[in-house]
Amino acid sequence: MSEAIVTARGLTKAFETGRQQVWALRGVDLEVQPGEFLALVGPSGSGKTTLLNLFGALDVPTDGELTVLGQAVARLSKHERAHLRLTAIGFVFQAYNLVPVLTALENVEFVLELQGADSSRRTRARAVLADLGLGELADRRVNELSGGQQQRVAVARAVAARPRMVLADEPTANLDGENAETLMHMMRDLRDRFGMTFLFSTHDPRVVAHAARVVTLVDGRVARDEITPGEKR
Amino acid sequence: MAWIASRYAVRSVGRNLRRTALSVVGIAVGCVLALFMESLNRGRSELFARVGASSGIGHLRVVPAGWRARRDPRLRLADWQADVAAARSLSGVAVVTARARAQVLLAMGTHVVPVELAGVDPDVEPRTFRYVQHMQQGRYLKTGDAGGLVIGQTIAERLSAGVDDDVVATAVGPDGQIQSAMLRIVGIVTTGSEDADAGVCQVARPDLERLTGLPGAGEVTLVLDEFRHAEAIRGELASRVSRGDEVLTLAEVAPEIQGHFEQDAASARFVSAIILLIVLLGVASAQLAAVLERRREFAVLSALGMSGARMVRLVVQEALLLGVAGALVALAVGLPIIWRFAHVGLDFRRYMGTFAFQGVLLDPVIYGDFGPWIVSYVTLVAIGATLAASLYPAWYASRTDPAVALRVAQ
Repeated sequence: MSEAIVTARGLTKAFETGRQQVWALRGVDLEVQPGEFLALVGPSGSGKTTLLNLFGALDVPTDGELTVLGQAVARLSKHERAHLRLTAIGFVFQAYNLVPVLTALENVEFVLELQGADSSRRTRARAVLADLGLGELADRRVNELSGGQQQRVAVARAVAARPRMVLADEPTANLDGENAETLMHMMRDLRDRFGMTFLFSTHDPRVVAHAARVVTLVDGRVARDEITPGEKR
Repeated sequence: MAWIASRYAVRSVGRNLRRTALSVVGIAVGCVLALFMESLNRGRSELFARVGASSGIGHLRVVPAGWRARRDPRLRLADWQADVAAARSLSGVAVVTARARAQVLLAMGTHVVPVELAGVDPDVEPRTFRYVQHMQQGRYLKTGDAGGLVIGQTIAERLSAGVDDDVVATAVGPDGQIQSAMLRIVGIVTTGSEDADAGVCQVARPDLERLTGLPGAGEVTLVLDEFRHAEAIRGELASRVSRGDEVLTLAEVAPEIQGHFEQDAASARFVSAIILLIVLLGVASAQLAAVLERRREFAVLSALGMSGARMVRLVVQEALLLGVAGALVALAVGLPIIWRFAHVGLDFRRYMGTFAFQGVLLDPVIYGDFGPWIVSYVTLVAIGATLAASLYPAWYASRTDPAVALRVAQ
């Protein structure tokens, strides 16, 4: 078995809300292997987004061990975590979170520019957009696109630099059924072609049906960890 | 090259056009006010030089050794004629005149007035001393006009004397003996300032030599074609004057007037600094509001791996655009204003009448300075102020915690 992409042991995360301490994660043990297509499910407040934030090196755990792509997240400086995200992790957010003043192409190209990619970055960005069926819309401002199209741009931005892991927080929450299906097919296709690892949190059973592995969180703990019989095609 | 980041900065500036326009107007107004103050300050240097050129002080003055420390009017130049010849041989020198001075008591009847009597060259003096250019009573001195005296209105009143009255002048001779001479008032000067009038008391230089028994001149005064060349001409002249004599600038001859001007300039600069500080805080506030509005966006950029330094650069770049726009507006508005200020001037006659300082009549019309410096000044001030104003918002943006911001957003 190859080295795990993510390893979490006894992972906890607490937030201060006024004088109270709220425990979002209460000892999560989880290992994610390269190329997995993993869904994090659970009720609201179960800790899905918090766990994705930690796996994405957006935050550091309160306690426990967390290794992402071979690096102990808690020991990394803010700058090192930013570098890790830039070079190895892609993000897809629930509300798309594209830069509204840029075109679809510029949104994708921006990440490549941040990585210091060479002059071919425009061609690469255009190719990724075309791959996701957005070739015609590449030069449009993102606020001129539909929700489904914006989320595809967000996926293009997340995968353009071919990261080893893509984290998606409720990626289909704002999409209708057809767009949700299309998006999941695209993400799975990218996983198949490029071997990227996909982790997504969701409430949507249609999305869960695409996952190869489903981890259920309840009250900040892993309640179930199942390998599904077969991916939906 | 960070083309997308630059495009992002440019388009972000255009997101809230009303705020951007207000920021640009704020920067422009601050710059124009600061520019006006700076123009006034630079104009003061010109005014100081004009005062020097017209009040008899001159732009440069050759004085005897030791005069600078003692200011003793009895000191005489080593060879005043050689000094005059040296001064006249230089290019850029408009007028050269030699004077001698002495502390004298003027008496008429029961009235006695102590004065500093100047022995002048009547042919040249009106070109360096504007007070005597237009005589209100009588006439000015003439060459060969033995015993003629020109005084200011204040001295005339203290003596209760008028034109054609005879006064007794008493001075201390070189060996300490008292020497007197009878002088006839040929003209009375009225400048409108009592202070300035009290300083006008002139005879032809030969008359002063006879009265004091001290031959020669105590100063050679130069008026230049262009006061900005004073330092260069001073250097050249210093090497040509008689041994022992030294060349002083206007500021060295009249440090109290220079101090007065410098104090005014410092006050104006302080006001400029306050104006710019207010503008800076206004721009900082607008920039911070822009950053706070885009907190989620900065959080996303941070999540995507944008470093804090890049984020600082992005916000600073946006500020730079505001600064450039502010500078352009400031130049468009400020150039005509300063041009008018430099050519028509500000006339303070209505507010302060005739104003003298330390016996020197100041010109009530102040002109600003207009020159190529304006472009670099406005650019520096506008961009400098906006960059300074952007530092805190930029730092704030760079500190955006991606996790917290995304949590808040959701």
